[in-house]
Amino acid sequence: MPVLTAKQVEPELRRGSSTRMAVDVDPRFRVGDEVITRKMNPRGHTRLPRYARGRRGIVVRDHGVFIFPDRHAADGLKTPQRLYSVRFSHHELWGPNHDRPDVTRAGFPPINASIFLDLFDEYLESL
Amino acid sequence: MNGAHDLGGMHGFGPIDNEGDEPIFHADWERRAFAITLAMGAYGAWNLDQSRFARECSDPAHYLSGSYYEHWLDGLERLLIESGLLSEQEIAERVADLATPAA
Repeated sequence: MPVLTAKQVEPELRRGSSTRMAVDVDPRFRVGDEVITRKMNPRGHTRLPRYARGRRGIVVRDHGVFIFPDRHAADGLKTPQRLYSVRFSHHELWGPNHDRPDVTRAGFPPINASIFLDLFDEYLESL
Repeated sequence: MNGAHDLGGMHGFGPIDNEGDEPIFHADWERRAFAITLAMGAYGAWNLDQSRFARECSDPAHYLSGSYYEHWLDGLERLLIESGLLSEQEIAERVADLATPAA
């Protein structure tokens, strides 16, 4: 039975852990590609938030291959999947209303703001 | 899962309360909740994504009114029960024991 001793805690926490996988998976998308996120409502775990489903964005970085968390949460299987940083315009996610003067005074970002989300390959489709 | 944890875009919570010099723990029980969660994570009966999902499965009303480490404790209890390490009854009995002042 694995036991975490008090002595191990600090070095373990300082080292942290990564879910990066040492396997290569062909990228389906390249930096600069326009993508649209899937409309999905899974009963299990996912890293695609509701506000970013069915939205158009641009791939700005390919982070490499990581454990796909949706599957990992479902049955513990470590399946490799590419992770991309995708840029969305604030307008695409939240609509045009936020640039009303009364709303911007309430602390909303300016109209040209962007939001970056790290998203797994199967959340995305080509546009 | 479309749970209460997926807060992006929700209104009505008021401004974020930025505490100056925020302490790591706000109460002693949080220290224990954190330690037990780490120790049980090292035990290996579940992975990090399964523990995240366990927190997401909390009752939505409870989740929205709960604190950070209440979410942790809630998720931990769910994982302990689902993996058969503890029963709901054992947890309830222990809570009742601790709530009863020693004679």
